[in-house]
Order: sequence, then structure tokens, then C-alpha cells
Amino acid sequence: MNFMKTMAGAAAGLALAGSALANPYEEYAGQTLVVNFPAHPHYDAVMKVLPQFTEETGIKVEVDQLQYLKMREKQTLELTKNRGDYDLIAYVVFSKADYVYASQLENLARFFMNPKLANPAYDPDDLIEGYVANIGVAGGDKGYMDGPTGSLYGIPFGSETSILGYRQDIFDKHGLKVPETYDEMLEIACQIPELEPGMGGLSSRAASGHHASHAFLLHLAPLGGRIFDDEWNVRVNDEAGVAAAEALKTIVDCGPEGAQTFGFAEAGAAFLQGDTAMFLDSTVFAGSINDPAKSKVVGKVGWAPHPMGVRRGSQTGGFGIGIPANAENKDAAFLLMQWLTSKEADKQIALAGGNPSRYSTHADAEVNEKFPHMATFGEALKYADPDWRPIIPVWGKINADLGTTLSKVLTEDLDIQEALDGVAERTAAVMDEAGYNTWK
Amino acid sequence: MNGRRLTPYLFMAPAAFILGVALLYPIAYMIYASFLDWNPSQRIGQAEFVGLRNYTWLLGDASFRESLGVTLKFAFFVVSLEMLIGVGLALLLDRSIRGMTALRTIFILPMMIAPIVVGLIWRYMYHPTVGIFNKTLNAIGVESVPWLSDSFWALTSIIIADVWQWTPFIFILSLAALQSLPRSALEAARIDGATGWQQIWHIKLPLMMPVLIVTCLLRLIDAFKVLEVVLVMTNGGPGLSTEILSLRISRTASEFRELGVAAAMSNYLLLMLMLLTVLMFVYSRVSEARAARIRQAAEES
Repeated sequence: MNFMKTMAGAAAGLALAGSALANPYEEYAGQTLVVNFPAHPHYDAVMKVLPQFTEETGIKVEVDQLQYLKMREKQTLELTKNRGDYDLIAYVVFSKADYVYASQLENLARFFMNPKLANPAYDPDDLIEGYVANIGVAGGDKGYMDGPTGSLYGIPFGSETSILGYRQDIFDKHGLKVPETYDEMLEIACQIPELEPGMGGLSSRAASGHHASHAFLLHLAPLGGRIFDDEWNVRVNDEAGVAAAEALKTIVDCGPEGAQTFGFAEAGAAFLQGDTAMFLDSTVFAGSINDPAKSKVVGKVGWAPHPMGVRRGSQTGGFGIGIPANAENKDAAFLLMQWLTSKEADKQIALAGGNPSRYSTHADAEVNEKFPHMATFGEALKYADPDWRPIIPVWGKINADLGTTLSKVLTEDLDIQEALDGVAERTAAVMDEAGYNTWK
Repeated sequence: MNGRRLTPYLFMAPAAFILGVALLYPIAYMIYASFLDWNPSQRIGQAEFVGLRNYTWLLGDASFRESLGVTLKFAFFVVSLEMLIGVGLALLLDRSIRGMTALRTIFILPMMIAPIVVGLIWRYMYHPTVGIFNKTLNAIGVESVPWLSDSFWALTSIIIADVWQWTPFIFILSLAALQSLPRSALEAARIDGATGWQQIWHIKLPLMMPVLIVTCLLRLIDAFKVLEVVLVMTNGGPGLSTEILSLRISRTASEFRELGVAAAMSNYLLLMLMLLTVLMFVYSRVSEARAARIRQAAEES
């Protein structure tokens, strides 16, 4: 009996060894990859799944996890070195403009063309297009978008879109309809403080700088606006821009007390503490809603797509992963990248609490059973707008100016048209200096 | 002998070397960088030399000027208030009270807390709904104050927090100065029948002056460079109302990715602080010279 078992075991072992001959990872087993990830809920989930990669492939992974602003600073230094420490990096969308422009990220074509590296079952069509256009591709339309001349430098990983969270119990109690348009949303946002004294309508960020700017942009795309037209003329102060700023002001005025200084964390906390009836921001936040340690609204929250203005357009953002041009183990890094963004890993990371980047994961029965909101998110993603904010190197400066000026609108009652005209004028000067008028 | 003459220099060499490497090199680097159009994705060698463009551009930049104004306002109020309260407290507590040592330790506690933590503590205390200040105000029937969400109050709030943290520094130095004053002068004043106020005005403060000037200068330099508390409490907002210069410098480098401009801004700050230091130095020289003249005149007569 024992002998038979041993034989069977040996046979099975042989069969495995046979298939192991076709193991694409074999050549790289024993290598150690150094990767740079942010401290972020998605990457916390990734950390739980990552040991499986080493188990399956024999490639070891060392992770340097940093707060995301620190991460960007560190990468900026790392990428200018002749030989970098990192084999794979996660980057914020925004870094795409800098890294690709400075030739610091590998073009991924040569990896996907290499039959020894590229997995035919990868199914790139399943990756969410808006995310790929926003985070992965550069060189197409406007330089930073996808399009006939674009090419791929990274793959979305830990990407986010915007979504509307609402208090099901409050909406039921007052017979409110979940808003589908901006008009409905703004109306309900200002009804709430009357219906539920002490409660704010909608949690939004509004703090001076990046937060105010982000909140404004969130409304700008659905209300039909853009910062620039297709020829880099500034149009932030047109009718749609004013409407977006007015929407932001209405939301903050009807929001919880002190909303003028809320950052992302405070806006989220206000919703989790039950101080507001709605929340409109990144999907990354959904993971904490049903965590009793952080939330007083467990089981009371419903989700709906970002309401529509004159068009649908939710934000796209978050992180992607790419291979630095100065990386040491690029092939193995690609294998890790491909593994992490494969259908199987995407699902497992989603089950561990991450943000999936594939349509199939959003539609997956098992994932939806654990996170019922995932189907709504998948629906919302069809309208994810990859061009909701420009990804150009001078954006940091324009963003800061926009954000501080909007903060004055929210706290000092600066006239909206006047404020946006000022932003437009200063932005035009920045763009001119950066050479965007060269061809005019 | 030649060798013997060189010996002192030999002993000084390590210190001079460290001074050169650790102090002068970075400053020289910063000065060089301020003449460049330098993006952090470039190596310094790839950056374009633009001469004084960063400096002249900054002078015309409204945000920089606003930030400079905020910094001056902040430094002025903070240092005046701290000097007033710190010296006042020292004068009050310069006596033997039981438990004085413990009291003194408690007084200097705020100074020992990390600035980030101070920022966080105050931010929560200023919180519009759950913060202790607004809760207390509401409890006694006063309306909430928009501590951090109004440009006037936001600057006031960070001034209050800074005064809370750094008054002890002035207190402890003034107290040390007070306790090392020559007892003979004070005794003579008492015997001559000087009142408490007269003692303070005519004896204690003039004798403490050299220490107070140095203390004031130290605080001023620090106040110009304050970053963390403001960063945590307001991040420069609302608008640009609390964006002090060091925050502007840090944002220029990391958010706007203009290392050259950030370096030029740092140099402006450095020049300003150097000017202050030189002024203080000249002042103390002048007052010393005057004191010497008076002494000489007294001796001659």
C-alpha cells in the first residue's frame, strides 16, 4: 500500500516536473525584486496576496512601502540614478507626466512582444479602458492621453473612480430618491440639513490647495467643463467652470460644520461618523464603510454612480505600476507586474479589500457576494473619464493656484466668475511659459 | 620651527573640513541651484542655467509676496507675544515657591513635544464641532468660531499654537538670566527704596537685555522657518492666508517641481535672516560701546 502511494506520488511529481519544464518563471527563480509601493488600502491588500507569487514562481519580492507623497519624492531621486534600487514601482497618475517625459519608465511593448515573457491568457481587453488610458498610456491625444500615437508605460493597479455613497436609512425615512443628476443631488444636499437637523448634506473635500481643486474637478467633467480646450486654450472660467464652482460652494455651504477645511480624510470621517447623508469621492473609501472599528454607519450605506450633469464623467485616478528604465531585473519585474494584474490575482486582491482594475473582477459572483457594491462600481466605471484633469508637468502649479483660489471662494465669498477669471489668466501665463503656445 | 607653527592648524583641520563639507558645501549647492531651471526629474548637470531669472521672477510673483507678508506678520506677532508673556512669567516666578522645580518642568513641557504632534493636538482642539474650544464656547452660549476656516482666524489660531509651544523657551532663558543677575545691584535698589516696578524697569530688564536680545533673535529665526505645525493645522489655507514661506518653499520643490525657484526662495529667506542677525549684532555692538563710553565718563569724572 505504502509502496503504491509512493509510486503514485512519484508519478505525480514527475508529471509536475514535466509541466515545470514549461515554467516561464524558472529562469528567474531565486532572483530578488525590490518594489516600491504606497501605503494605501489597495496595496495593503496586495501585501496579503504577494507571498503566493513567490510560492508559485520562486522569485522573491522585497517591498518598500511608503506614504504616497514620500514615495513620489523618493522615486524622483531613484529614477535619476544610473542604476536604481527599484525593479517595479507604483506611481500616482500624476507622475506619468514627469516620468515618461524624462524617459524614466520602460515602454512595455517589448515585454508584451516577448513570447517567453508575455502570457497569452493575460486578456488586456478585460482591463478597464478608462484606467489604462489615464494611468498607463502616454503619447496619444494631447500627449498625455491614449490615441493612435500612444504607447503603454504602465498598468493600472490600485486605480479609483468616483462614486456616490448615500445613507439608505435616511433616504428611506424621508422618502428621498437617490439622485441621478446634479440638480437632484444639489437639491437633496441642501434639504438634508432641514430634514435632519445637525446633519450635513454631502461630504466633500474643500481644504485650500489640492483638496479644493480635486473637489471642483470632480464636478467640472460631468457639468461639461474642462480646464483646457483641445488647443490648450484655458476655458476653466466658462459657463461650465462657473457651474462646477457653484456646485462645490452649494455642497460645502449645505455640508457639515467646518466643511471648508475638510481634506479627503475629514470628509470621509464625517460620512463614517454619520454627520452627513451623502459622500461623493473615490471608491477607495468603500472598504471602510462596513468596518465597525471605523464606521458608525455599518450596513446603512447604499452606492450609486456619480450623478450626471450634461454628461456622465467620473474621475479616474489612483495608482499604476511600471518598470523604471534604470531597473536591474526588468524581465522578472514584468513577470511580477503581469502576475499582479492578471485575472486571478486581481480577483484575489479584490477579495482581500483592494480596488480591482478588471471588468471581470467587478462582475465576479464571489467578489460581489463579499462586496455587494462592486457591481455598481463596475457600472460606474463605464463612464470613467480618463481626461477629467490634464496630466501635464505644469499641472502641479495650476492645481495649487486653482485650489487656493477656490478656497477663497468657499471661505471669503470671493465672486466665482472673478476668481476663475484670475485662475484662467494665471494659468494662461504658466502655459505660455511652458511652451504650450509655441504652435499658435 | 615651522612644524610647531603648523601644529594648531593640524588640530583645526578636522573641524574645518567638517565645517566645509557639512555646512558650506550644501549652502554653495543651494546658491548654485538657485541659478538653474531645475526639475527634480533632471540631474543637476542637465538643468539649464538661467542666471538671476528665478530671483527676478519671484519678486513679481504675487503668491510669493503674499507668503512673505504672512511670514512677516506671523513672526512679528509670535515673537512679540512670546517675549511679553515669557519675560512676564519669568519675572513673576523668580522667587522661591514650594514645588518650583516641578512647576518649571511643567512649564517647559510644550517645547519638548514634536511639532507634528503639536499641530495635530491643536487641529483637534480647533475642530469645528468636536473641538474643545467650540464645545466650550457653545456650552456658555457663545457662537462657534471658525478657527481654521476663516483667513483671519486661521492665522490667529496658528499664532496661538506657536505662542503656546514656544513661550516656555523664552521663559526658561529669561528665568536663568534673572537668577544670574548680580544680587548686589538689586539689594542696593531695594535699600534705596525702589518699588517692584522700578526694580524691573531700571535694574532687571536692562541687565537682562543681552540675553533677551539673543533669545529674541533665536525665536525670530525659528519663527521664520516654522513649517510642521502650520502644515498639519492648515496646510497654508484657507486661500494662502497661512502659507508661510517655508511651506511655500516646500510646495514649490515638491508640488510645482521647481527646485531652482525653491532654492532662490530659500536664499531670500537666508538673506533676510542674515540681515536680522547683522542688525542685532550691530545693535549690541553699539549699545556695548555706549555703555563703555558711559562707564569711561563716570570713571573720568
